[in-house]
Amino acid sequence: MWAGHRNKVSKMNEPVIVLNQLSKSFGDVHAVQNLSLTIEPSTIFGFLGANGAGKTTTIRMLCGLTHPTGGSATVAGADVWKDRHLVRTKFGYVAQRFSLYPDLTVEENLRFFGGACRVPAAELEKRISRLLRVTDLKSKRNAAAGSLSGGMRQLLALGCALVHDPPLLFLDEPTSGLDPVHRQQMWNLLYDLSNQGKTIFVTTHYMDEAERCTEVGFLEAGRLLAKASPRALKASFRARLLELDIEPIMPALVRLRNLPEVLGVSLRSGGLRIYAAEPEKLLASWRAQWPFPDLNLAGERWVEPDMEDVFTAYSQGYDAVLKRSTS
Amino acid sequence: MKWPSLGAILSVAYKEFLHIYRDRRVLILLLILPPLFTIIFGHAFEANEMTSVPALLVNRDNTPRTQRFIDIVSKNKTFQWRKQPPEIADESDLLKHHVWAALVIPNGWSDTLTNGDPHPVILYLDGSDTNTATQLQGSVQQSLADFQLKERDALVESLPEEVLELGKKLPVQIRKQFVSLMTAWSAEGKILYNPKERFIDYVVPGILGLILQLLTVTLMACTIAREREAGTLYQLMVTSLQRGEIVIGKVLPYLAVSICLIVVVSLVALLHFHVRFYQPPALALICLLFLLCSLGLGLLISAFSRTQTQAIQFSVFFLLPVFVLSGAFAPLEQLPKAIRYISEIFPLTHFCRAFRLVNMYHAGVSFYLVDLGVLLAGALITFLGAAFLLKRIEE
Repeated sequence: MWAGHRNKVSKMNEPVIVLNQLSKSFGDVHAVQNLSLTIEPSTIFGFLGANGAGKTTTIRMLCGLTHPTGGSATVAGADVWKDRHLVRTKFGYVAQRFSLYPDLTVEENLRFFGGACRVPAAELEKRISRLLRVTDLKSKRNAAAGSLSGGMRQLLALGCALVHDPPLLFLDEPTSGLDPVHRQQMWNLLYDLSNQGKTIFVTTHYMDEAERCTEVGFLEAGRLLAKASPRALKASFRARLLELDIEPIMPALVRLRNLPEVLGVSLRSGGLRIYAAEPEKLLASWRAQWPFPDLNLAGERWVEPDMEDVFTAYSQGYDAVLKRSTS
Repeated sequence: MKWPSLGAILSVAYKEFLHIYRDRRVLILLLILPPLFTIIFGHAFEANEMTSVPALLVNRDNTPRTQRFIDIVSKNKTFQWRKQPPEIADESDLLKHHVWAALVIPNGWSDTLTNGDPHPVILYLDGSDTNTATQLQGSVQQSLADFQLKERDALVESLPEEVLELGKKLPVQIRKQFVSLMTAWSAEGKILYNPKERFIDYVVPGILGLILQLLTVTLMACTIAREREAGTLYQLMVTSLQRGEIVIGKVLPYLAVSICLIVVVSLVALLHFHVRFYQPPALALICLLFLLCSLGLGLLISAFSRTQTQAIQFSVFFLLPVFVLSGAFAPLEQLPKAIRYISEIFPLTHFCRAFRLVNMYHAGVSFYLVDLGVLLAGALITFLGAAFLLKRIEE
């Protein structure tokens, strides 16, 4: 569909996005601090972090909507602030908030952004019908954008961001608040786009979405904690992960959390996952003598850490369970 | 910096036009208010002479001569007299009697006229509205003058023969002077520029300017503020649109709408009030410059405000003094000199002045060149200011 685009990007092997000590402060508040990372073409880069971690500020700096207070960043080789007018032709941007015109129809929104991005008229017609098809909005083409459901709005926003066929996409929490069906539809579209050679930079706070990315960066309080593929990130979880079945579960969670040997506890599908530097030792001591006679230890097993475990370990600073190869 | 692209400007303009078209309430406002306002305002300011003002008449001097005066003053169309008995004590309580004035002829007034020591009649006036009191007093004064003239003629008629014989012995020169002094001297008014004294001709630019200013400033002020409020401004900024293209694109549809408004208001003035328009091209130029100035102002307010509510508030703060100080409905010369300097800031002041110079005075361009210059400067300053503020938002 966007096959022609591969030829347009000549320097395929060079990083599309380069951040070098990128920082942004609002007075005393350091929203983003010394962020350095590179993103290769055709990557789906997931930027993971809690609300207020600095994801949106980073994306806005990359879009040239706010100027960095330190460091620099380039998109397709151009500085995101000094050459922002040039950079803007290279990416599409889907903001966190719905920011299309609610009183314009689906088609009028697409046509407006196409015109604003100087897509030639003949090309624009073809592109609009193509985008209406891939976003599944053909039947809604004459509906006011404001009347669409949340999922359709996000798909339309993605369509508008793609109308000038950019090699790069910035998506700021595109699936927050969407139902599972539309989330799946959105991700399928992103896979297609990635397959066509587009680079996708997406922020999220859903762990399952991080699993779908080819690369993930953890952001916490404006600092990059780790950046690697989901598999490598999981591999960096050094300690073994112990899961216990205890009855009743809630008092157990609170009491285990307060043990000095335990870094943290998280509840998953009825089991309690224990983050500890030496879980084997802990288990052995518990087998010898269970310290809570009123709680019934019904089962125990070793499990593979998932993305949430890894993110928790990084963001809570459980260094003892991690191999700190990246960061 | 590249040159603005026509296609990009038209994209913005079309989108902005759709916003106006889809917002039915604003559309109805735009279609109905201007002609309605013109008709209402036009009639409101049509009659500037007061008639049938309710007033009390208290006669405490029941003599034939006083009766003659009352006959004359009763014919005065300014007043609708309500006669009160002489015993009344609270004639000065105008509010209680629901009148604007009270004329009291004191006891023995006729005798004072006979005795060579004329006492005044008493006139109580409602001074809360500063214009009416003087107008009403003038009207009573006029009736009194008419009465005095009639009394004099009657006196001359009834003079005994000996007095006339005596008069004939006076030198001709003195007699002529005497006759001249006995007639009322007058000024013959030759009214220029608005010979029929039609107030509507004077007030048309005021109405036109006020409607245009009201609608363009408030509507335009909402445009960028709306995009800021909705978050679409950032979406606009990440496109390759330049600031100039956004600004021009946003102004174009409002300019078109405003030109339609001018045509509608002018048609109402022409067909309903029979206002003649002199030198339409010159008037069109004045209107265009004024429009650009107003749109620029709206744009400036828009770039300045974060939300639409703020934009409307700023607009009202700006428009309020304009209504009072711009000389749209009354001559600026009524204002104190220091205030008039403030008036000079408002585009409406220059618009009204230039419009009247053309349409009433049939003046040449040299008379209103300054006003055109001020309007042009205003348009440039506001547009550049808006572009500058937009750049600030961007950073």
